[in-house]
Amino acid sequence: MMTTPKISRRTVLKSGAALAGTSALGLKPRRASAQDKTLRVLLAGDPFYYAIEGLADQFQQATGIKLQIEAISLEALQARLTSSFISNQPDADVISVDQMWLGQYLESKWILPLNEFIKADKDTDIADYVPQALYSMNTWRGQVGTLPVATYGQTVLYYKDYVEQAGVKIPTDGSWSWADYLAIVEKLNGKDFSGAKMAGTVVSGQQPAPVVHMFTQLAASMGTHWFKQFPTGKWDFEPTIDSPETLEALKTFQALYKNSPPEAVGYNWFDAGMRFAKGDIGIFYWWTPYAYLCKKDGYMTGKDSVIADKIGIARLPTAPGKKQVVSIGGHSLGIAGNTQNRDAAWQFIKWATSAKTQKEMALFNKFGYQFSDFARPSLYKDPDLIKIYPHLPGQLADLEEGNGKIVRPPCPVYTTLEGIYGLNLNKVLSGELTPEQCLKETSVFFQTILKGNFLIPYQQASYDDTLDATKALMASLA
Amino acid sequence: MNSTLAHRPRRLPAFIPWLLISPSIILLVALIAFPLLFALKNSFYFWNLQMSPTPMGFIGWGNYEMALSGGFFFGALLNTLLITVVGTAIEFTLGLAIALLLVHKVPGMNMTRALLIMPTTIAPIVVGFLFRYMYDPGGGLIPWLLTSLGIPLPPQGILGSSTTALWAVLFADIWQWTPFFAIVLYAGLLSIPPDIIEAARIDKASPWAMLMRIKIPLIKKTAMIVIMLRFMQLFNTFDLVLVLTKGGPGASTRTLGYSLYQYGLVDFNIGLASAMTWLMVIVVNAIIALLVFFAFKEFD
Repeated sequence: MMTTPKISRRTVLKSGAALAGTSALGLKPRRASAQDKTLRVLLAGDPFYYAIEGLADQFQQATGIKLQIEAISLEALQARLTSSFISNQPDADVISVDQMWLGQYLESKWILPLNEFIKADKDTDIADYVPQALYSMNTWRGQVGTLPVATYGQTVLYYKDYVEQAGVKIPTDGSWSWADYLAIVEKLNGKDFSGAKMAGTVVSGQQPAPVVHMFTQLAASMGTHWFKQFPTGKWDFEPTIDSPETLEALKTFQALYKNSPPEAVGYNWFDAGMRFAKGDIGIFYWWTPYAYLCKKDGYMTGKDSVIADKIGIARLPTAPGKKQVVSIGGHSLGIAGNTQNRDAAWQFIKWATSAKTQKEMALFNKFGYQFSDFARPSLYKDPDLIKIYPHLPGQLADLEEGNGKIVRPPCPVYTTLEGIYGLNLNKVLSGELTPEQCLKETSVFFQTILKGNFLIPYQQASYDDTLDATKALMASLA
Repeated sequence: MNSTLAHRPRRLPAFIPWLLISPSIILLVALIAFPLLFALKNSFYFWNLQMSPTPMGFIGWGNYEMALSGGFFFGALLNTLLITVVGTAIEFTLGLAIALLLVHKVPGMNMTRALLIMPTTIAPIVVGFLFRYMYDPGGGLIPWLLTSLGIPLPPQGILGSSTTALWAVLFADIWQWTPFFAIVLYAGLLSIPPDIIEAARIDKASPWAMLMRIKIPLIKKTAMIVIMLRFMQLFNTFDLVLVLTKGGPGASTRTLGYSLYQYGLVDFNIGLASAMTWLMVIVVNAIIALLVFFAFKEFD
């Protein structure tokens, strides 16, 4: 016969307390230890990520370190990383760091400076980097904070068949001006070709970052600066964007939009590139990855676009009497300041940015060849790579004329300024502001923001951040 | 012994009710009051994460002045109020119309009710992506439908024109949330005692009179609750704007919720975002207080 056990209230309470205690112990987060050979890598989801992910096994086999790679959008990445560092909750060991965040991350000790790692490890081969790329993307106040894993310049892409049929000659060596470029765009606009109504060009008009990325290339090429003195000499953040040169650039940009599909006012980076890939655009200038991305009909689809073998590539136009300045952007890897796996993180960065891995990334053919964004000059001369990516010599020449710190200066409140600038540039395209109003209003906002953030007058120590200083730094670390 | 005395309940010590209610109070303070007070404190400090990981100094009303003088707050407030008021009104009207149809016992209603709830279960971000494709000027369903009906569209596309973009965002929201109104109001209509409706029918009340004088007054409490809920949700509209327009073209679709995201999570100006949060709290609570005061006056 079964008997019903007698359960007292006290027993229930004791059991409950024991259960709660056990659960609490079980739920306590496990801290990552140095012996834990899993490396968490948090990346921006650009083309380089697919190549890295495809080659991850090689790293694991060579080092015995397991990789846990995650890719998210740049905006989400910044929000997630900031939240992780502010709350001191380690999120990843290796992180993508945008060049605009570099100063903030280094000064807040959110990433570790790499100078000592590089110096102690000759395999880094620091001499085999385009100095302009390291200067633009990876150095801040004499420290290397990150190493480039994907380096972009800007270039001109055109639809060869259509341009030939229209009787237009494109000087591919850069011996043309922005006025010539605009005249060609106007000539190519509105014609019929292969059953499509062609637009002269396409702009990326979405606010804030895409439109700023596109406009600032044109503006910098015409000799404009954001501030009175930055990043060289004694820093003075008095805005200089309301200048005749910027106004001329903005009027040119507005004219380009008028020869572009009207919906381009809302186009982000990829929308603009894919519109060109659709085959109803004559010519446009954009980040260099679009030289291979436009060969496909979508992002990592592997399917050729209608213009896959009909894309011509030319160097950017210049402004008469002005030295060419090419925008440099891309993605770089840094070691999270709160990681427990510093050495493993460094091993990964060294591997991902090495000439050998970068070449393998370029030859990785899952969705077609989708990576030619090198910062190492040796790869631009590699015959295997030139065969697949014939535009490489021009791309290197563009990078060597690059200065990311002039085109989009990485000042402490850059994202705030970009937000305002992007909004007002977009308003010019949508007809809400004239170019004159845009620059005047933006300049006033810049002043307010910079004063509000104690950057005008600038009272902290300046750093004479020149390309020569970066070359000297590279020599000292080599 | 007197049995009544023996069964008299024991009187609890005075602190026991407080002890029992204390977990709720602690939870309330931790989840609502603390973040709000933390934001209030930050709103008086200069704290920009691009400049420093910790607050850089007390600046009094500086953040509030910046929020109000920047020109963005009032533009965003106007967009937000437009979306909120028009959106709530349209969703309520359409939802009520659907609820009135649902109470009729016609074939296929069970399936309709099940399908109706589906848009509400989709994440707003996904709805945003769906509508982004549907608004695509190069082959999207909505431009095609409108053009087929002879309705002219702006050359920049529905999302590219400042005259249509805000309405496009609103339309996506209406598509998603009208069923929510419909389901809740349908439940309200089902709770009306049938004899009241029957009595009205015997008195030969017209359908319009039945709706305005019997049905709506009897579901007023339910309707007010759901209106307030949606009002507050719409006031914080953010995700649809983020996916569909990023606040553009220009600032034509920038709402307070989106501005807050921009200041806090893109610009990382925690002080300014905190000040904006408090301005929003004040505005939305003032409106809700007015709504509650007028709507529930008679019930009190």
